Amino acid sequence: MSYFRVKLGLVTLVLVATLAPSSALQVTHTGQGPTLSSIGPLAFGPDGTLFTADNQGAAIFALDLGTLANGGAPGAKGLDALDEKLAALLGTGAREISVTDLAVHPQTRNAYVSVMRGQGAGAAPVLFRIDGAAAITNIPLQSLKFQKVELPNAPDAGGGARTNPRTQVVTDMAFADGRLWVAGLSNEEFASKLRAIPYPFASVDRGVSVEIYHGNHRAVETRSPVNAFVPYTLNNQPYLLAGYTCTPLVKFPIGDLKAGAKVRGTTIGEFGAGNRVLDMIVYNKGGQEFLLTANNSRGVMKIPTKNFANAAPITTPVESETGGVPFEKVTSMTGIEQLDKLDDNTSIVIARNSSGGISLKTLPLP
Amino acid sequence: MRGSFRAVAVMASALAIAAACGPASSTPAIRLTSPQGGPAYVEVTGLSSDVLDALRPDRTADEWSAILRVAVSDEAPGMLGSYSVADGALRFTPLYPLDPGREYRVRFDSARLPGAAVPGASAIVATVGEPARDATPSTVVTRVYPTSDIVPENLLRMYVEFSGPMGRPSGIPHMSLLDEDGKEIRGAFLPLDYEFWSPDHTRFTAFFDPGRVKDGILPNQEMGRALTPGKSVTLVISREWRDQYGRPLKEDFKRVLRVGPADEHPLDTASWRIQPPPAVGGRDGLVVIFPEPLDHGLLMRALGVRRGAEAVEGDIAIDQAETRWTFTPREPWRGGSYELLALDILEDVAGNQIGRAFEVDNFDTVDKSPNPKTITIPFTVGSARANH
Repeated sequence: MSYFRVKLGLVTLVLVATLAPSSALQVTHTGQGPTLSSIGPLAFGPDGTLFTADNQGAAIFALDLGTLANGGAPGAKGLDALDEKLAALLGTGAREISVTDLAVHPQTRNAYVSVMRGQGAGAAPVLFRIDGAAAITNIPLQSLKFQKVELPNAPDAGGGARTNPRTQVVTDMAFADGRLWVAGLSNEEFASKLRAIPYPFASVDRGVSVEIYHGNHRAVETRSPVNAFVPYTLNNQPYLLAGYTCTPLVKFPIGDLKAGAKVRGTTIGEFGAGNRVLDMIVYNKGGQEFLLTANNSRGVMKIPTKNFANAAPITTPVESETGGVPFEKVTSMTGIEQLDKLDDNTSIVIARNSSGGISLKTLPLP
Repeated sequence: MRGSFRAVAVMASALAIAAACGPASSTPAIRLTSPQGGPAYVEVTGLSSDVLDALRPDRTADEWSAILRVAVSDEAPGMLGSYSVADGALRFTPLYPLDPGREYRVRFDSARLPGAAVPGASAIVATVGEPARDATPSTVVTRVYPTSDIVPENLLRMYVEFSGPMGRPSGIPHMSLLDEDGKEIRGAFLPLDYEFWSPDHTRFTAFFDPGRVKDGILPNQEMGRALTPGKSVTLVISREWRDQYGRPLKEDFKRVLRVGPADEHPLDTASWRIQPPPAVGGRDGLVVIFPEPLDHGLLMRALGVRRGAEAVEGDIAIDQAETRWTFTPREPWRGGSYELLALDILEDVAGNQIGRAFEVDNFDTVDKSPNPKTITIPFTVGSARANH
């Protein structure tokens, strides 16, 4: 057999139609009793719809909690040794479960905690409600009405059923402007994507590739993951504030985030290398507004938002450890892995202690 | 032994570690049943038909748990599950399967039964459980991609494949790179708060920190790249990485990699060698040979074959250190023109794509199409040469 070289000059470069079209995909399902392979991250819609990502199944579910949202004491109360308590209900040990997210119901202010029970591909998704009397209630997923939207398939060149070990991961979700915003990436296309899904689900777009200027990295980044984000309004315009690995704070105008576009966000803060934002919330205190971020290695940071609209974009190298909008460290909050706003004055967190166990705590907003 | 009884497992496979202190009457008994192909359940036998008839199903979980509680310890709350009366016994079926090897405490309090409590009875307790799994480690690392002994200084990712499903936690703490002196190169891999497992949990993706890989940016300037050209490193995957049953790996995995110079060039399809199938009517593979190793994951889906407008169904084999891609069609080749398709998301092991190097920030080109571009390379079956 003879081998030969293909001459690029003679090769036709074309866009072909074997790929999924760039228009929105109609891939929704509705029914009762969703089949989730995994659960978390979580996000509530304003009407109490609970959105959850199923990373293993590459899908997003909208869960109607129905009457199961009712009946608990309003609010949420902290629980020591949360992992042990949840594991006991699940008939296993704390090491055999992983808490994947925490979200607060917009009306009842009950806390919802998503858990994976077990290890490996056979681990089971579980949802718990924790109310104002610290009562833990299992929410039976099989009883819930749901809508499901599948994330777009990976592009492939076609040609048969192949073993595809590709993984998609949703890193965070939030509801804003009538849409569910989903940040994620895959192991094979390691670039951040933001997707907007109108609710009720009708379609999911192909995603917006988002780029940032990373002052500490002195470069434009497309391969830095969005770890967490929150919707935010600046000058009456809806924005997303996103925290990246290593740890730029970036604002994206929602109006620019159109399907298929490549959008460059405005970097307004640099909060240090070797760090990742785990969660973030916005709150008011004393007539001022703040962004509160939980970080994996730099603790909790409190960032006044008053300068966000007019903050100078970081477009040149940041030589110092941090830069951009000012922040202060909140030393009273430690080990925070999940963070949400319980009410106007209180945060609710999942915090890990020095021995590795986790607790649910309610803490005054700093 | 007076005043006690043993819980007896019906199936030989079920472990009954039971023992209890209870009433002089030997009537009520706790047992664990593990039916073939179904979930295990805990039963209380020896209850009279009057008592069973009175056990209405409309009780709260707390009320049921006061009568019969199955828990991971005496102090723990009752496990989630369902209660029923079946086969002449009170039955608790846990919501999730019992963990093999874990002991469960069962407490039956006949005084909480409706109406006809057994005179003089008190609570009886037992310990039940399923047999432990074989704890002998058996899972091994079967392969790490790239498989080449030489990797570029700016290697972007590794895929670690296992012989069986692994547990959920990230494996990054169990992966290390040692320099030639056996000293660990710290911070080589990118820690993330989520894990890139294949759906069956047998393939894990580890990234080298892009901040250190990318030339000129701060982490790269401060720490340099984790890999140094001309040197060797040893990848060590600790046996402490646990499989889906919590067992360590059978052994540590070690592999020496020689580090070559950085690869900062985009892929160039002109450098590929294509060996078309030799004969019409046969199923010999179409072979494509690359001048450098390409990313194994993307090779699985970013290359394909078309005839006219239709994708050709077939199987893919990747070997020779990810420098050879072979496509074997399901149906015999027909004579005439075909096309090899390559999506421009295809990468080499340093993240360079077709027409775009990882080091190049070509953000000035706004890509309005979210779909990858496709490069087509025609070839002809039944001809010794491609028709280009």
